[in-house]
Amino acid sequence: MTATASRAPRARPRPGRGVSPPGVARPGIGWAVPATLFFVLFALVPLVLVAVLSFTTWSGLGSPRFAGLGNWTKLFHDPVMIKSLWLSLLLTALGVAVQTPLSLLLGVWAAGPQRNRAVLSAVFFVPLLLSATAVSVLWRALLDPNFGVPAQARWLFGDGNLLGSRTGAIGVLVLVSTWQFTPLHALIYQGAARAVPTVLYQAAAIDGAGTVRQFFHVTLPQLRNAIITSVILMVVGGLTTFDTVLILTQGGPGTDTTITAFYMYQKAFKGFDFGAGAAIALLLVLVATLVSLVVVRVSGYDKMAGTKDGLS
Amino acid sequence: MKIRMRLARCVAGGAALAMGLSLTACGDGGGAGGAQEFHVLVYGDAANKVEKEIVATFNKTSDVKAVLDTVPGADYQQKLQTVINTPQAPDVFFNWGGGSIQPFVKAGLLLPLDDMIKKEPGLKANFLPSVFNTAVVDGKAYGVPMRGTQPVLLFNNRAVLADAGVQPPKTWDELLTAVDKLKAKKVTPIALGGGDQWPTLMWFEYLYDRVAGPGLFEKALAGDKEAWDSPDSRKALSMLKELIDAKAFGTNYDSVKFTDGGSAALLASGKAGFELMGSWEYSTQQDASPDFAKKDLGYDAFPAVAGGKGDAAGIVGNTNNFYSVTKKTKHADAIAKFLELMYSDAFVKSQLAIGNLPTTTNTEKHLAGAANPDYLKYQLDLVGKAPSFQLSWDQAYAPENMTPIHQAVQQFFNGSLDADGFIKAMQALTTA
Repeated sequence: MTATASRAPRARPRPGRGVSPPGVARPGIGWAVPATLFFVLFALVPLVLVAVLSFTTWSGLGSPRFAGLGNWTKLFHDPVMIKSLWLSLLLTALGVAVQTPLSLLLGVWAAGPQRNRAVLSAVFFVPLLLSATAVSVLWRALLDPNFGVPAQARWLFGDGNLLGSRTGAIGVLVLVSTWQFTPLHALIYQGAARAVPTVLYQAAAIDGAGTVRQFFHVTLPQLRNAIITSVILMVVGGLTTFDTVLILTQGGPGTDTTITAFYMYQKAFKGFDFGAGAAIALLLVLVATLVSLVVVRVSGYDKMAGTKDGLS
Repeated sequence: MKIRMRLARCVAGGAALAMGLSLTACGDGGGAGGAQEFHVLVYGDAANKVEKEIVATFNKTSDVKAVLDTVPGADYQQKLQTVINTPQAPDVFFNWGGGSIQPFVKAGLLLPLDDMIKKEPGLKANFLPSVFNTAVVDGKAYGVPMRGTQPVLLFNNRAVLADAGVQPPKTWDELLTAVDKLKAKKVTPIALGGGDQWPTLMWFEYLYDRVAGPGLFEKALAGDKEAWDSPDSRKALSMLKELIDAKAFGTNYDSVKFTDGGSAALLASGKAGFELMGSWEYSTQQDASPDFAKKDLGYDAFPAVAGGKGDAAGIVGNTNNFYSVTKKTKHADAIAKFLELMYSDAFVKSQLAIGNLPTTTNTEKHLAGAANPDYLKYQLDLVGKAPSFQLSWDQAYAPENMTPIHQAVQQFFNGSLDADGFIKAMQALTTA
């Protein structure tokens, strides 16, 4: 793909328009039309409309009134908004920090030839198949301070005020998303780990490397691309988390788990301030794009040369 | 010019769509289309049974037909807000009175019902005044009660109280004593679904009502921000604080919800002595713990506060739901006839059959035939004799204030806001 091209020697003559290199038929531009159309219609147009809406005041009654920068200046002076951004970033960072090692180990393990591996992998995969709503309702019941697990294990949970305290609520949100999404990332790592050439392990074994050294010196470097893919997915997913907050905490206690996506919902659909909601939505798009770009840049993902990387 | 307006609305609609809101098309295809009919938009839930019956009854005799449109509960307010100023707007729609219709009144979308009432005084006279007044905005009537009333009562577990030697408290001091006695028995004195936030709000509503009378909140709602900073307001807050600090609600109430049955289960299982909840607690318990509902579920009015300015007979809660009429309707006369059905005997009987308590003056004579006549009679007396019926704060204020109110009450309870912080939060609410 394009990544390969950037490393390709400049000297190689570029094929002219309509002229295909031998063996590779370059598809006509017509093939790009449907995808482009869909992208414009369902991604760009709504984005532009949201941008327009963010400069208006609209309660859903009548027509939106132009409000200039009103929504934006209010937003930047809104302590809840600023707190919600930090919270979103915190939850995302915690999610990456907790889920990455877990799913890495699980994925690499699942790529191996052990007995019962297939059965266990299938079991681990179950949480991902459940809807986030069902998952949240389930955990809510499980963590009920008077009738759930905390009531049985007072020595561990104290009074069981998990969802009613700031740290408890954040902890539960991280736990639930870890429980739900670790399987997805483990799956990514499983696929990538299976693609690591066995010769590398054989060579390492000959050089006297044990399982642990093999993991750190062969597996991990080979999984670099997979790690970056997985982290970007976590970042985007983490920043836009919504359903678990809606059901588990409703942004509470107080505003302690009011993350940005939930704050947008509160403003737009509970407070009927669609202009402010649109501004928050747009801000979230900007932040998520920015964070993803930073991840891509820092990891060197943009300069990678596909499968050739790491082998050379 | 008109096209431009519509374009703007379409653009805005598209943007809302992008944010996940479903919206009807922007064309001119109004529902009526020349046919002699009007549309009734209602909150879709189990109670729709009665609304369907009433519409069928009405259509039997009327030339102008009523068409019932239901919107699933969770989406109702959003849907209403988006269609009410479009050609698809309903002629008659369900609401909660108070702040829930205020934005529509301000936008000039609603028909004052005073002319209808002049022609047919029964539209007002047949309803309990404390309830009817909830849908009065700026001195004009904008709604007719159409379901059952939901006062908030102090429920208890009789067995738990008896075990601790506690009588249902008539005064605040008795409540504090009861809290101590229940704590000594290792029982959470009062179950509270703080995770839902609105059950916490009920404690504020009642204490403010008892300490200051209903006037303070009415003033605050009308825009007098100083009301929140009055000595009465501070006294109510300090009494609440005393109750919280006495661990009356235990320490994990914010992890408990009413909506998933958590707090109701605390009461039913005997782990708590009291719960302050809307009248629907009864049917909730009947559903979840039928034995408890039959044997040990007690209910009482909120205790009196010695030296308080409020009447101990005053109540808070959701007074009822209402039908309001949009100004654009072409069938006001037919709608008046339709609304008159809301105090018919058939209507009252149907509502009672599904556990709703209509707030009409003829409700009483039908009570005997209901499933739980004692409880309904108690409620009706309470509502009928109440000198005031304070609509829940989060419904009385315009919708954009709901979240800030809920956050403030939760934060006051968990200690992250003190009295000054709470007062400031309430002063920041938008008022009419």
